[in-house]
Amino acid sequence: MIPFIQLFALYVIIHGAGGPGGGFQGGVVFASAFILYVIVFNLAGGRTRFPESANTIFSSLGLYLYAGIGLLAIIFSSGAAQYLNYGFIPFTSDFHENRALGMDFVEMGIGITVMAITASIFFDLSQQDEKRREEEEEEESK
Amino acid sequence: MNRLKVSAFLLIILLCALFIYVAEDIPVFGDPNTPPLKSVELFTLEVDSLASLLNQHIVPEKLSGELVKRGFPPPSRVEKISDLEGEWNVFIAKEEPRYAREEKYYWVRKEGDKLRISRYAFVVRWIEKGLEETAVSNMVTYGLADYRGYDTLGETSVIFTAGISVILLLRRRSRL
Repeated sequence: MIPFIQLFALYVIIHGAGGPGGGFQGGVVFASAFILYVIVFNLAGGRTRFPESANTIFSSLGLYLYAGIGLLAIIFSSGAAQYLNYGFIPFTSDFHENRALGMDFVEMGIGITVMAITASIFFDLSQQDEKRREEEEEEESK
Repeated sequence: MNRLKVSAFLLIILLCALFIYVAEDIPVFGDPNTPPLKSVELFTLEVDSLASLLNQHIVPEKLSGELVKRGFPPPSRVEKISDLEGEWNVFIAKEEPRYAREEKYYWVRKEGDKLRISRYAFVVRWIEKGLEETAVSNMVTYGLADYRGYDTLGETSVIFTAGISVILLLRRRSRL
């Protein structure tokens, strides 16, 4: 089930330009795959699949990707300071095609950040819950 | 107690009536020709000789004077809307910091012996120029990621900040 959910999430992100969908929705769908994994198996298993270090890196990577596309636009517009005007980045020869492609990259950045942050919040909350349950069990055993 | 019930009932009826009164004026959803979606009416002028001037693609002095007096950008060019009698599109010139190219801005139409001058709603330009300018067919996506790119960057950083705060509050450890 999980690979299908992830594939669907990627579909939602990539087809954000043509149909309904986009970075925010796709990111949440992707994170729901991890949440499903933790519900079916357990928290430790989920953490080995999606380790904490990777989670922290991904959560800022998406934002860096977005801001980086904007900076690339500044660099390629050669001093006109067109921040986030993707048309200047030479992916292809056509100005308007460039805008479409830049939009796709931005959507990917949004998707990565939303996915990592949603998963991170879920892991943190469930970790807290598990810790408290362990403490209660210890008190009961005393 | 009984009086309270009656007054509550009357209040509900009053609210329903108010709702119906307001809902009557809400335009049909998705119809691009309803007045609030298409244009904002500015003022009316007497026709006189303006219609013939407009038909010759000349901007009448009276029209541009009235527009400038009210603080709107001065018109530069007139075009007749094809296959419609008595309706014209008025364009404004390129004006560097605000308009990167010539824009369709005013909508003039003849009704009886009055000329109604309206300004096109922003939605019209959004729908007409979006696909051409961004090569993306989804109206929502080019709004989200291109025209309002700064806004979306801010939204993403809001989500990022929320996640970082949850990490700092709940993950009480020395290392992040």
